[in-house]
Amino acid sequence: MSLVQGAIAANRFGMGAKPGEIDAAASDPRGWLKAQIKPDAALVSGDGLKTTEQAFQDERDAQRMIVGQLGRPNARPQGNTRPQASPAAQSSDMQTANDQAGVQTGAQAGGQAGKGAQLRTPQQQARQMAQRQARDELNGEIDARTKHALETSDSFSERWARFWSNHFTVAAKNRQLIGLAGPYEREAIRPHVYRSFGELLGSASFHPAMLIYLDANKNFGPSTDAAKARKVGLNENLAREILELHTMGVGSGYTQADVTEFARALTGWTVGGPQTMRLLAGGGLGQGRAFRQGGFGAGQGQAFRASLQQADAYLGKAVFVDALHEPGARTIVGKTYKAEGKLQAAAVLDDLARSRATAKHISTKLARHFVSDTPPDNAVKKLEAVYMKSGGDLSAMARACIDLDEAWGETALKFKSPDELLISVGRSAGQDAAFGRDARTVYASLAQQPFGAQAPVGWPDDGASWSGADAVMKRLQWANSVSQRIMVSGSPNDFLNRALGPTASEATRTAVSRAETAQQGFTLALMSPEFQRR
Amino acid sequence: MTRSSHDINRRTLMFGAAAVSIASVAAPAFASVPESGGKKVVVIILRGAMDGLSLLPKIDDPNIHEHRASLVDAKAVPLSDGFALHSALPNLAAMYQAKEAAFVTAVAGPYRERSHFEAQDLLECGSAHGVMNDGWLNRALQKAPAAYSAVSIGPVQPLIVRGRAEITSWSPPMLPEASDDTLARLMDLYQKDEVLKTSLTEALGADKVAGKSDPGAMMGMGGGRGGPGQYVPLLQAAGKFLSQPNGPEIAVVSLDGWDTHTAQNQNLQQRFTQLDLAIKTLKTTMGETWNKTALFAVSEFGRTVRVNGGQGTDHGTASTIVLAGGAIKGGRMFGDWPTLKPAALFENRDLAPANDARSVFKGVLREQLGWAPSDLDGAIFPDSASARAMPNLV
Repeated sequence: MSLVQGAIAANRFGMGAKPGEIDAAASDPRGWLKAQIKPDAALVSGDGLKTTEQAFQDERDAQRMIVGQLGRPNARPQGNTRPQASPAAQSSDMQTANDQAGVQTGAQAGGQAGKGAQLRTPQQQARQMAQRQARDELNGEIDARTKHALETSDSFSERWARFWSNHFTVAAKNRQLIGLAGPYEREAIRPHVYRSFGELLGSASFHPAMLIYLDANKNFGPSTDAAKARKVGLNENLAREILELHTMGVGSGYTQADVTEFARALTGWTVGGPQTMRLLAGGGLGQGRAFRQGGFGAGQGQAFRASLQQADAYLGKAVFVDALHEPGARTIVGKTYKAEGKLQAAAVLDDLARSRATAKHISTKLARHFVSDTPPDNAVKKLEAVYMKSGGDLSAMARACIDLDEAWGETALKFKSPDELLISVGRSAGQDAAFGRDARTVYASLAQQPFGAQAPVGWPDDGASWSGADAVMKRLQWANSVSQRIMVSGSPNDFLNRALGPTASEATRTAVSRAETAQQGFTLALMSPEFQRR
Repeated sequence: MTRSSHDINRRTLMFGAAAVSIASVAAPAFASVPESGGKKVVVIILRGAMDGLSLLPKIDDPNIHEHRASLVDAKAVPLSDGFALHSALPNLAAMYQAKEAAFVTAVAGPYRERSHFEAQDLLECGSAHGVMNDGWLNRALQKAPAAYSAVSIGPVQPLIVRGRAEITSWSPPMLPEASDDTLARLMDLYQKDEVLKTSLTEALGADKVAGKSDPGAMMGMGGGRGGPGQYVPLLQAAGKFLSQPNGPEIAVVSLDGWDTHTAQNQNLQQRFTQLDLAIKTLKTTMGETWNKTALFAVSEFGRTVRVNGGQGTDHGTASTIVLAGGAIKGGRMFGDWPTLKPAALFENRDLAPANDARSVFKGVLREQLGWAPSDLDGAIFPDSASARAMPNLV
């Protein structure tokens, strides 16, 4: 029975101790964690949220509504037609929602260049409504994800799922991805985090959101007729990031030639929709743009409309289009892959998942997450051995992380990211205390908006990135606002005991108990060196 | 809230209250005597690989249209030597005409792979091979010819400023502030925690200087995320830090979002507008201090010369460095031009790296703030003697 080890289990491996968890974990901390390794433990309910396919269908319907009602794309309001709602009010609502969400939306911002400017056409209003809806949906995703993390009794699994979601980052960086980043995490990541790494790699790489985020839908076999007709070709983005970030890791031996060859193998993989179907029907890419803008040009008759109906069946699904795939065998990292259509890229992924470089890359990242920013070689090697022996089985890897003696040192070495800090406070003091009325604003103010990573590399997992002067000041301002609304029973010291158990230092206990007010005591407890780390 | 009329002095009061607690901390960030003669350096990192050929197309290069006709801005403003500046940067164009802006063409660091993250790390740590744990700017401060200091603007501490020397950081506040008493107690609690103690000490000094940004001005410039004025508050803060009496000599700002794999023209129109407004804001905020300032904006690498499948470009090699400020010997193009002949392209895809980015950094550091060549070639940019400081930049 060790309360210290119980606190480490709940705080370092879990997402933060809920009241009573430290005691519950104390008798068998490792067993308590391993019992959380269950296939469905990281699932977030999709109630009230869209699937990827629904997101695409709704987008299509919105576009059709604009087209159907208004005809030509740049039609101006006729006669005395005036917008129903005050456009200025709508505009400022959008601005607010935009700021709160804090995710970059270039197209939207461009439309708002003149704040308060009249929305000139019904199209613009409709487009803005659609944007607003997408943003509401993203907020719904953030709320659902936050709520799950705060409530789950399997918070090791939540940490595990977030690790993999960050490893396979898809950020809501534009309007289309705002609607897809949440469904992606629920569909492609969470159900697979205890399967093999290869399966997770496949489900992430071939999810429509990833295909769009890393431009696979703009990656065309250069020698195909479709590409030649439109003068388009390879886009290396997905191939490069799979090698560099998702599997082998940078500097692990692959070359620019491997990236290009892998990009060729990935050609053909895209997302089903009107644009893809039109390519199949012999049309060009430009018509996809015309479609999105509602321009059904002359000379596009029955066949064209039939192809659109066909497109519905594949809308929002990852598809492989042979006519876009670069024919031929490929050589990648020293191995030749014969021409076999969609199986070619899958075979490459399979081998990448088995590669020793991948085992090392993944093991290093996991050790960094659970042990320290500079994990000892020994810890990495133990994980690597389990990876190779189990064929990248992620349940085995989770157990191996829990079994790392290096990860159970009494001193907390990992500086919490803003996300970890917020969730841990929410678990010990309640959602309202941690987030107030608006979770998005709080996430944004601490510079870690869910689904908002700036680059495919994801959020940093080291203290130096999060502990700069400005970041600490922001945390203090936030902690101060938490302490103004915290509603837990007992004194700040009781709170400290529930959240940190015996891992709170004597200095912190003294400072908190000597605080001038309870509010000040909570601020000091939240900002204490022990609470800022895990 | 705890805000009150003594707002302006509350940080000062706080330092009084906590004087005993922080006595063991090294020199406060802003206590240096100005030995730089008021000269300043601003480093802007353009993250994501900025397409230098779109920023500053060489419109008289016979091959440019063959490679990338759709990416050459038809309204680009001709400057000199056959180069033209993208039309989204009118303020920068005016600075070039006024001889307070210049460009280094076909420039890259020593890195020849194409990973953003590794390239940024190498650009920031100043090493030719192998990422180090500290940034070149931090090591430069450790070797500074006088008691120079630096400020990093933004919520994340970039590698370029990390290391043993203390560098403060700042970004716009969004939440209520803690009382002075709470700050003093927290400072006590952090006595044995070097990381938190250092960060909090610096933050308190920084907050006092930057003051409050002007929301009215931000809105007028289209502030807010994605808007043309997105970076205005950051550059306003940088300008305020640098132009205060005894202010730091160096400021670092990062501008994200240059990875234009698709729809490059639209994306860059927006980014260039933001960059142009950012530089203009810095100039306006700095007032007379601008006349003694040398700014460079640099990206980790450039982009492919040819257009990709999505009207974008992929990761390349050489890009363009923007130089601006009253101290810059402007109105000129620096560096060799390797041409866009197919045979001259690096690996048959990228603008060849004809000039070394470290030469530009060294040139500015040496001539503007007087660093010793031996330190520049050794401790600051290890094993870089072959990349000689570029002369006559300032």
